[in-house]
This record gives sequence, C-alpha cells and structure tokens, in this order.
Amino acid sequence: MQDKMRRAAEQSLGLARKAGAQDAWVNVSRSRDVTHEYRDGKLEKVKDATSRALSIELYVDGRYASHSTTDLREQSLAGFIANAVSLTRALQPDPYRRITPPELFKGRADRDLQLLDPAIRDLAPAQRLAWCKELDEGVRGDKRLISASCAVYDGSSRSLSVSSNGFHGEQTGTSIWMGADLTFRDRGDRRASGDFYPGARRLSDMPTVQKIAREALERVRQRLGVTKGPSQKGYMVVDARAAGRLISSLVSPASAQAFQQKRSFWTGQLGKRMFSEQLTLVDDPLLLRGLGSRLYDSEGIAARPLTLVDKGVVQNIYADTYYGRKLKMAPTTGSRSNLLVKPGSRSLNDLLAAAGEGIYVTSWLGGNADNTTGEFSLGLRGHLIRNGKIAEPVGEMNVTGSLKELFGNLVALGDDPWPYSSLRAPSMMFEGVGFSGA
Amino acid sequence: MKRRDFLAATAASGVMLSMPGILNAAGEGLSTHVPDKPFLSWFNVDEAVMRKVMSELVARGADAADLYFEHNRGNSIAMEDGIISSARSWIEQGVGLRVVIGDQTGYAYTEDLSVDAMLKAARTAAAIAKGSKGVPPQHFNAGPAGKMYRIAMPWSEVKIDDKLARVRRLESLARKQDAAVNKVTINWSDYEQQVVIATLDGRVVADYRPMTRLWCTVSAEKNGVRQSNSANLSGRYGMDHYTDERLQVLAKKAVDNTLVLFGARRPPAGEMPVLLASGASGILLHEAIGHGMEADFNRKGISIYSDMLNKKVANPHVTIVDQGTLAYERGALNYDDEGNPAQRNVLVENGTLRGYLHDGISARHYKVAPGGSGRRESYRHAPMPRMTCTFMENGPHSRGEMIASMKRGVVAETYTNGQVSIGAGDFTFYIKNGWLVENGRITAPIKDCNIIGNGPQVLRDITMVGGDSSMDTGGWTCGKNGQSVPVSLGMPSVLVSKMTVGGEHAG
Repeated sequence: MQDKMRRAAEQSLGLARKAGAQDAWVNVSRSRDVTHEYRDGKLEKVKDATSRALSIELYVDGRYASHSTTDLREQSLAGFIANAVSLTRALQPDPYRRITPPELFKGRADRDLQLLDPAIRDLAPAQRLAWCKELDEGVRGDKRLISASCAVYDGSSRSLSVSSNGFHGEQTGTSIWMGADLTFRDRGDRRASGDFYPGARRLSDMPTVQKIAREALERVRQRLGVTKGPSQKGYMVVDARAAGRLISSLVSPASAQAFQQKRSFWTGQLGKRMFSEQLTLVDDPLLLRGLGSRLYDSEGIAARPLTLVDKGVVQNIYADTYYGRKLKMAPTTGSRSNLLVKPGSRSLNDLLAAAGEGIYVTSWLGGNADNTTGEFSLGLRGHLIRNGKIAEPVGEMNVTGSLKELFGNLVALGDDPWPYSSLRAPSMMFEGVGFSGA
Repeated sequence: MKRRDFLAATAASGVMLSMPGILNAAGEGLSTHVPDKPFLSWFNVDEAVMRKVMSELVARGADAADLYFEHNRGNSIAMEDGIISSARSWIEQGVGLRVVIGDQTGYAYTEDLSVDAMLKAARTAAAIAKGSKGVPPQHFNAGPAGKMYRIAMPWSEVKIDDKLARVRRLESLARKQDAAVNKVTINWSDYEQQVVIATLDGRVVADYRPMTRLWCTVSAEKNGVRQSNSANLSGRYGMDHYTDERLQVLAKKAVDNTLVLFGARRPPAGEMPVLLASGASGILLHEAIGHGMEADFNRKGISIYSDMLNKKVANPHVTIVDQGTLAYERGALNYDDEGNPAQRNVLVENGTLRGYLHDGISARHYKVAPGGSGRRESYRHAPMPRMTCTFMENGPHSRGEMIASMKRGVVAETYTNGQVSIGAGDFTFYIKNGWLVENGRITAPIKDCNIIGNGPQVLRDITMVGGDSSMDTGGWTCGKNGQSVPVSLGMPSVLVSKMTVGGEHAG
C-alpha cells in the first residue's frame, strides 16, 4: 500500500508536467477511522473504514487551481489530471501565485515528534469494546440518569507530499478519543447533559477510563438546576476547557489573508502592545506528541515555533506564501499547528478566590465574533462566583464585548493548560466583562 | 466531539421573497438526469453484484441493510482583488454499507468499487450481527426518478467560462455599489451528487442532486473604520438560476448589509421582546424545536421534547413544518439517504406538538412509517434523522403591528450561526444585522449580538405570527454528530415576547 501511494504521487507529477503544468504539488493521504459507540449497556454502532485521497495543486501559465480525487486507480489519474490542467488554464494569471520557493523547505527539524503510537494503530476490537463497557459501568448508578452514550474513536493516517521543485515529505500519526456523554433528568421536562471526550496521539497520554467517567459525571451534575443569572458587569473566570474557544476567536484574524483582505482588527498592531501583558501566545509545531504537531506545513514550509503575542505585544501573524507576497511580508506559516497559551502560576481555585464575585464559565453555546472589528457575543454556561467560591449553576446568558478589550482586561492565568487539544489554554480571569441574563 | 449541533452560514436575509423553487418548477427542457440503469451507468455495478454484496452484508442477520453508492463531483472558484485567482475541483466516490439490527448499526465504506473490495467492506459492517443469515432480495424494484430539482444542463456539462462570466459580473456589480467598498471577494461553488441506494427490502432508487452557491463578501472603509459582511444565494439549481437580476439583488444585499454596520451599535443587554424578520429567522425553528424533534434524541429520551407529543406547546397560530419536497430548495430531496421518499412532516400543528423526524431505526422503534428524514453527509457516514426545509406557516398578524407593540426590543434580520443544547433546550443564534425598536418605532441599526433562549419557553412566548412567510434564499449547513448536510429555513415575521439579548451595559 505504501508503495502504491508513492507511485500515485510520482505518477501524478509526471502527468501534470506532460499536460502542460510548469509546477505541481501532490499530496496522497490514507486514513483509517474506527468508531465504537455504546449506549445504555450495549453496543450501538461500529464503523471501520479506510479512506484515501489524492490532491494536486497546479501552476499553469501563471494560473493556479487545486484538484482532488478519491479514485487513485492508474487508469483514472491520467484523465483526472488532464481535466485539472485544462480547468486551471481557463482561469486568470495571478502574479502572486507561485509554488513555494525551495529555500522555505530548508531547516526541517530532524526529529521524531512521537505522533504515531503502535498501540493505537494495532488496537484490538475487543479492547475498544472493553473500554466502552468500563466507561458505561463507571457512569451508572445515579437514579437521575436517562441515557449514557460512551464511545471510542481512534484512527491512524499517513500523508505523503511531493512537488515538482524538489519537495518530499511524509507524516504519519495516530489519535484516540474516548469518553461519555450523559443526560440526567432535571426539573420539569428539562434534561441536564454533560460530556467528557479527551483525546491524544498516544494511549499513555490519556486519562484513565475511571477518571473519564468521573469527569463526565461531574460535568452533568454541575448542570442540574440551572437558572438564568442576572445581567451584570464584572469578573469572568473561564475554565481551561472553555478558554480555547476565546483564543481561537482571538487569533482567527491574525493572518496575512485577513490583513490583506482588510478583515482583521489586528491590522496595524504588529510590534505594538495590543493585549494585557499576561498574554503570550506561541504556535509550536514541534511539540512532542501534540495533536497539531508537524515537521512541515501544507506548503512545505519547514515547521518552527512562532511567537504571535509576547507579553501582550503582537510579534507575528500566520502568513502563507501567497498573502505574504501580496503584503510584502516574509511567510511564517499559513495555518495553526499547536497553539500554546503561556500558563500562569495560580490554580483555578485561586482565580475564583481572587475574583470574589462574578461568573465562572465552563462551556459556551453558539455565538460568534467579527474578525474585522473584534466585536463578539457568546452564549455561556457556568456558575455564579460568590465569596470566591463556585456557587449555583447558570445558563441562558450571553457575554458580549470586544476581543481587544477583553484580552486587554486579562488579569491572570491558571497553571492548568488543557492537554487534550491542539490549542492548549489554561483557565483565565478577566475583569470588567459584560453579561446579559435575566 | 458529540452532540454538537450547529448551524452555520453568513446568511442572506430572505426579505419578502417568495419561495424561489416554485418559480421554476414547471419549466421546459428540464431533466432529472437519472439514466435508465443508474447503478450500471454511474457505478458500473449490475444487479447481480448488488445482490452478492447485499448477501454478504446480511450474512450474520439484519433487520435492515442498505448500500449507498455516491459519486460527488464539484467545482469552486474564488475571485479576489479583481482576479479569478484560484479554483478547486473534486471527485469523491464510494459506497457505504450498513447493517441494522434493532437500534444497532454496523457500518463500513470503500472507495474501491471492485467486487472484492465491496465484499470485504460488507464483512466488516456485518461483524456487529450475530444472528442467522438474512435473505437478500431476488430483485431490486426501481423507484421513479424524483422531480424536485430538474435542471436543464447537469453541472458537469456547464462550461467554466460561463461560470467565470457570472463571477466577474457579480464582482463588478458589488464594486459599483458604493465608493466605500474596498474589497470584494466572490466564492462560487457547484456540485452534483449521483446517488443509488439499494435496500434489503428490495428497493433501488437513484437521484441526481445538483447544488450551487454564490457568495459575495465585501469590506468597506469610512473615516478609518472598517466593516465587512456578506450575502449568498444557494439551492439545488442549474446555471440558469443566476440571472442578472438575481446577481444585482445579491450584490446590493452584500453591500447594504456591510454599509449599515457603520451606523450600527450593540443593543442594550438583557431580556426584551425580539421580532424575528421573515425568511432567515427560520434559524429559530431549526434550533429551538427542529433538532429537539429529531427522533434519535427522543428515542433515547435525551430531548426536552421527549414527553411532549400531542401536548400544547405554542399558541394556535403556530404551525411548524419540515418538508423535503420544496422544489429547488437547498434542503430539498426526492428520496432521503435511506431511499424513502421525502415528504411533508408537521412538527407543530396549530400549537400542538405532532410528530418527530424519523430515520428507519426510529420509525421501527416507534412503529410508524419512515418519514423521509434519514440523511447522511456522504457515503462515509451512516444516516440519522435530520431536518430538510424547516419553516413556519403564515399567521394573522402584520410586521407593523408587531413593531408598534414593542416598547423596547430588537428586530433580527440576518444571522451567521446558531446552536442548541438538546436536553436543556437552550439554544442560540447570532444576529449580524438587525434594528433597535424604541416606543413602537425602529430607531437604529444593531449588529453582532448573540440571542439565547429556551426552546419550549420561546415557543410559548410567541405572541404574534405574520402573514409574510418566506424561505431564506441563502445557504445553510447543519452539523450534527460530525456530519454536515445542506438545509433550508423559512418563517413569517414572528414576535417573541422575551429572549436574552447579548448587548451592552449602560455606562
């Protein structure tokens, strides 16, 4: 199978040249995904399939297009690539569109990022079922339980890239996600729900099954008896699991594309202090075992850590070669790998105690942010903070403001970065935040 | 990972437009583009092979089983900075194989349509069953080709130059609207799915499903302040949908939605009446009740609506329908992805909760006929109950009397996304454009606020229903358990007496 992938990639490069492309970039990938879902004491769904795809980016007479297919048979590729080249030729020449310069391939780290775990790749079906059963047993016992769904999702993938100007790369990896999703009867017709689905590259980085079950139970019990809290302005403490959503909204416009298209509230802030000095953000593709780790990005640029924000000062943005060229900015990388928020030294309980009064957010519901202006509004679920402690659960509330102001008002960070995501944020405490409720 | 139900788009508002599909439904020269023996012409698979694979699939027993063959071919084009700067094309083809026993599902798929690969996938899917061998049908009886989205020319035959001309035209229309416009991005996409579904009970249906979307995104600058917004058109149309008139309306809408933001502010924070404008406000129905009525959530007892069937849930003016048979709508279907004909399903009739949205598993569980709501993203996924085109029927009130009745509140016009928590019933939607109402009059534009409410409570709090129901002309994509499907939304103007508006605090 491995040879087949390489052969399809090399063959496609040759076909593209023959059809008139000056440059081409080919990626061939193969991934296996296995799902085991278990509900209320029995197996509900098993899915096991292997998927493959070939994509080719073509540079033809100054024009650019990308094409993909799941039909990798030799007899199909020739027609596919001939069509792809003629479609590309129909577009307009774009002076900024060129294949990645080979100098950006240089300096690729020569190390094992430990992304592939043979224990996951070779997992026995009986083991997945045993974990499901153990999770199911671990979450039973409470009379209020209506339904418990437990699941194990795992997979392995291999991706191989070659280009007409000498790029060769191969990345492999595994991942596993395991957890439980619980529904409890609440007052009236209401149900409370809670889930916990940690994921990792390697089995040894996963919490124990008992811990996952306990955490899922804790999450659903916290949602019982929720009421709408009052509209107010004050402290917001966001737990580590929920904090990633805020960071994700914050950095979404930190890209050369958003700058060039005049759709970024970060524009004009490079080198300037834009946020609280508590905030340091680093994109680290070389993190060992990271869910977003890689040795090169989709353009072949050798991966290296990139500081986006250092103590509140904007240092870099995500810049691919195309938009970098348009902005006359040196490319960094076009996409996020592992985004790390520098943790603080205080525990979540310390942050709650420091806030005294306010809202503690444990998850979000809907909401959005405007990349151009930074204005945001999000639905929240969590608890009131009273006397520095977690008090009654609240929901059906919104938090609304500007991301620039919010991260200007970041007063402290926790010491507890969330490990089960490519975005590792700790709990965070903000002041002067506006909440809408009753 | 699970139970993340979202709805996303940067939506165009569907202000007072009639249901677009009906205009074209009886056109000349239209075709279903389904050949005589679709499994042979589309997938090079004959009936004997289908029987052989089905036989392997049910070798350990089955209550139901299906083969879902799909070929998806598409094309997207982007125009930016005055240049058609990139395009993408794709081909995805495969077959999904499913075995169902009670509420248990075994699933596998393969992108290799050789008999050996399909037999191997069938054995993988069959592993969940432990019973005695099922009997495959002697013959597959073909269902008729559906007529919900007949178009003149299949998308695979439309010339790229014709698409590029429309993209360029829309870009120039948007640029010309206003001197403050400084960036215009056009995103075009079209795709076609050829689907053949063969079932254990001996049916085989084929469907050709076209889809297109044209999206216009605008940035503008005034006195050093920047704003951006967008509008889009989408549906199961052919090329002839993109008339110059529609392009002009789309360009104007994208620019108007952007320019109004310069004068817009945040509404005040807290609970207040919300007038949902006709069209895209159907997002309320999708989130507040639609997901909660999907029968999988009720079969498991996890929906807040699980125990409310045949109970009064809203005032008698409220009738809510999910209907796959709305011609040319983005959510329209001839057959669902289990091969059952799409139909009209009434969720709420004159204020009373009537029925759930079923897939085959839940229909067998509840002992009802399948409702044509079993959908899947692609051959890579097993189907589940999903919405298609969700809307509210007309009521007796007018938008004018709704506004006049509001002391202080907001009008919601355009949306970007929404989400619901199935068990608690809490849902949200994000308003991109709207209006502030003070003392019975519209006083200012508003922007960027999340609205949050509780589904059953909001249904009870609907006090007026307008007579101006329309479907949103923009495209919506609904996500559930990791699968995305296209849907449509619609509604008349509706007044809800109280919801929590994400806004600003005085001082």
